[in-house]
Amino acid sequence: MTIRRFLIFAPILLIIVLLQSYFWVPTYEEQTKGNPQRLNEYIAGSIGDASLLNPILTADSASSSIENMVFEGLMDRDEQLRFRGRLATSWEVFEEAYFYVNPSADVPGLGKADPQDVANFLKNAKKKKNAITTGLKNSLDYITSISVIPPRNYSVTKELKSPDTGEQKKYITINIAAPARIKLVLNRVEPNFFQNLSYLLGKNYFESFNGKAYLMSDSEMEKGILDKYAGELLPAVEHNPVLLFHLRPGVRFHDGHLFDAYDVKFTYESIMNPKNLSPRIAGYEPVKSVKVMDPLTVKIVYKRLYSPAMETWGMGILPDHLLNQNALKKEAHRLGKDPNTFSMRQSSFNRHPIGCGPFRFQEWKSDQYIILDRFDGYWEGPPNYKKYVFRVIPDQLTQEMEFYAGTIDSYDVQPHQVKRLEKDQRFQSFSGTALGYTYIGYNIRRKPFDDPRVRRALGMAIDMDKIINYVLYGQGEQITGPFVKQTDYYNHNIQPVPYDPQGALTLLSEAGWKPDKQGWLTKDGSKFQFTLITNNGNDLRKAILAIAQDSWKQIGIDVHTDLLEWSVFIQERVNKADFDALILGWQMGIDPDLYQIWHSSQTNPYQLNFVSFKNKEADDLIIKIRQEYDHNRQVRYCRMLHEIIAREQPYTFLYVGKWTAVLDKRIVIKTIDDTGHIGYKKITPTKTGSYSFYFNKWIKLPEAPAFMDEG
Amino acid sequence: MISFIGRSVIQKIITLFFVSIVSFLIIHIAPGKPSQVDPMNPKFTPEMVERFQKEFHLDKPLHVQYLYFYKDLFTGETVSWKDNQSVLKKIWERFLNSLPLFIVGTIITWTLSFPIGIRSAIFRGQFYDRSATFLSYLLISIPGFFFAYVLIIFVVNQFHVPVIGMETFGIGDGASLPYIFMDRIWHLLLPSVLGATGGIAVLSRYVRSQMLEVEGQDYIRTAWAKGLPPEQVHYKHALRNALLPFVTMFGLILPGLIGGSVIIESIFSWPGMGRMAYEAILARDYPVILTVNFVSAVLVLAGTFISDLLYLVVDPRIRL
Repeated sequence: MTIRRFLIFAPILLIIVLLQSYFWVPTYEEQTKGNPQRLNEYIAGSIGDASLLNPILTADSASSSIENMVFEGLMDRDEQLRFRGRLATSWEVFEEAYFYVNPSADVPGLGKADPQDVANFLKNAKKKKNAITTGLKNSLDYITSISVIPPRNYSVTKELKSPDTGEQKKYITINIAAPARIKLVLNRVEPNFFQNLSYLLGKNYFESFNGKAYLMSDSEMEKGILDKYAGELLPAVEHNPVLLFHLRPGVRFHDGHLFDAYDVKFTYESIMNPKNLSPRIAGYEPVKSVKVMDPLTVKIVYKRLYSPAMETWGMGILPDHLLNQNALKKEAHRLGKDPNTFSMRQSSFNRHPIGCGPFRFQEWKSDQYIILDRFDGYWEGPPNYKKYVFRVIPDQLTQEMEFYAGTIDSYDVQPHQVKRLEKDQRFQSFSGTALGYTYIGYNIRRKPFDDPRVRRALGMAIDMDKIINYVLYGQGEQITGPFVKQTDYYNHNIQPVPYDPQGALTLLSEAGWKPDKQGWLTKDGSKFQFTLITNNGNDLRKAILAIAQDSWKQIGIDVHTDLLEWSVFIQERVNKADFDALILGWQMGIDPDLYQIWHSSQTNPYQLNFVSFKNKEADDLIIKIRQEYDHNRQVRYCRMLHEIIAREQPYTFLYVGKWTAVLDKRIVIKTIDDTGHIGYKKITPTKTGSYSFYFNKWIKLPEAPAFMDEG
Repeated sequence: MISFIGRSVIQKIITLFFVSIVSFLIIHIAPGKPSQVDPMNPKFTPEMVERFQKEFHLDKPLHVQYLYFYKDLFTGETVSWKDNQSVLKKIWERFLNSLPLFIVGTIITWTLSFPIGIRSAIFRGQFYDRSATFLSYLLISIPGFFFAYVLIIFVVNQFHVPVIGMETFGIGDGASLPYIFMDRIWHLLLPSVLGATGGIAVLSRYVRSQMLEVEGQDYIRTAWAKGLPPEQVHYKHALRNALLPFVTMFGLILPGLIGGSVIIESIFSWPGMGRMAYEAILARDYPVILTVNFVSAVLVLAGTFISDLLYLVVDPRIRL
């Protein structure tokens, strides 16, 4: 019977065809050991794929890891976290300070003075060198030039948003008759400059300047509106910090085009261009102007003091000649799109990036791999590896299997996998303190969390050692404040909140919470009870949730817990500040700017100070930190701020995790000295925990080298 | 016949319209926002969030957003929020990747289920039937991801060959065509077998029960009574009649074309539809989610339509 035969033979044939393919497949052995090419490739495994390969358009980590290879910024941070020149060879930080001459103010020893008099007065004071305070003396010393800007008339148009609807737009024109202004160039940035100067010009010289008097509007409107703009349009004093970058000559993009200052200007303009929707715009908003002085010098002037500015110039520089208006128009025509709406976001550049980093882009297959080839014309000398491959393997177990087989060199290793791998002779493992921390945040708007004693007591009831040992398998460290632990900003003198349930009870009873007959803490007849929440899907947080609940129950606090899906958690609870206490984590950058998380102006719904931490001293320090350019002073402010936050305990700071990485032992650092002698060194992580800092010098050897133990 | 086709096309278009509204509403009303307007990033300012919302038309009322989206979809201009790629192009690429998996999986399911099911029916209650039943239930109850891990670990440790991805990584350089082709087939083997196991278990049960039902009919007894050889009774008289419901099932596998399998595709690093749709959901990439949703709704409706037509063709008893 044919039907019967068919039914039997069809599946057998199918199975044979499928199975025989086994004999055609190269084994792992052939791919790795038997393949000398493999030693020149570095294959990194990743859970997720990149989105776009354009540093100004993306902020996700997968994209950034590729962008860092393809693009290069003006500077980065070295092993000690100091700034290090990359595309810039050196830079100068100084300041242009302005103030309006105040005709109504009395200058001590000069009376009411006209602009030229004030300028001369300052020049003389600088010459005399007998200033009242050292601050003033230093400030005067910093001045390198003084000039007078004559008065000028101009007008600006402002868009008026009606406060009720926010919809109706009205435009008003304000005519400004700006008085004369004095421009001072300092050889550094001095946030206290005008404060010091007021010893010389009179205490109220700057405060009493009435900007409103110089504003006129042709249309009738409420008085308040002009007042509002006076401070913005005619500020009595203005700091304009300047960054002057000297660029590295002879650096080329991967297509051979020379890099110059116009590329820097172009990158800045692209970020600011609203059409591009760059997620990095916030860091560049304080920039007033970017000016190309000559092809290798670029001057960046800021509107106000903004010390995180330096960090932002690590941004990869885009090639002007491939992405400017003309280039985009041409591309739009080629693709048959409307050139007026075509923006950098649509450009094919984002999938074929060209930068001046150590690796040049080769190929990208979505959700499979990205291949980069080394760039032989890299200014610092080409990397040792010929190829960098980024493989997308979304499953952790298969990642580990591929790692064992040798077809990927690194992957996102989990703490429990490290335990398994670190005993293996074939691998070297690294670990260090990470940049993010986990905390319990209390909603200070609600009672009883408005009492710092209560918050501290809650922290004292939790045994952090246990959490680190049993939840994190030891892959974490205690943390006492909001700064990155391995930086200078972190105040190591602050002791962590001790584990002391008895002490916690004492503190609580000071705050009025006494145990009742059943052992529950009560105050004025009401029980101490609240709900602790966190997001679902994070097992560590879930475990901490249970531990905290149990620890607090033991001292008589009735705690309920709730796990919420991430978006519900954020939208309904965090953004609307509808919670008692929550467990969450922050990823930190090296820069110590904490404005958005801790400043009291950021406590509204949808802002990040959702615990509503308000402290005047802390506010001042936060502003000072983001205005201070001097590292030592910044460190001092940060440590003071750290102390305040540790004292107030708006969060119970729990721990900072550890990052871990595992590599084949055969991967080493290869160096060639001036005499051509080749040396090999073991890979060691830098102080800040970047094991791949010297990645360009890495290479894989056929055999694992034997290193002397370096103690 | 023609009036039936016309009626059913109109009905399906109306259904599709409601599906488009409901899916649009569900996605927009569900909590969570696109990652571009995720406010938990300290680097994001409210102005930026506002700008993104404007760009994505999220500041408009829902019905306007609805019109914007479907206008873009029908003019083929929908772009993903994640990477600004055309959504239709993305779906097409992923569809081509998922297609071989789907085809091989379907072939395995259908070729294996029939012999197994028929034999079970013929030897009802005997050892073969019982063990087939046992295996079916075993395969139905094993979680797919677990079975996948077990298989991967077994194959990799035993045979030392790669199994994940669409092809052996880096085989493109220098290998000759037959090698590349066979390598692809090898990489298809495990995921499609895994995708098929559940199908085989269910379908073979179904075949068995259909066969049993038909074998109890009078005309089969007649066939036996005529003294026909058992083979002819089973494979000609019984099987042909038992096949009827399966013909219509062919139309219903159409939607599987676009569904893909999130778990299998993730474990095997297969760059397919399921993974793309899943990641789009996590990132709240509305254009991708809604387009996939719409296309699959179209396929489901087309599938039921085809199976209706097939019924007409194969079963002469049904007249419309």
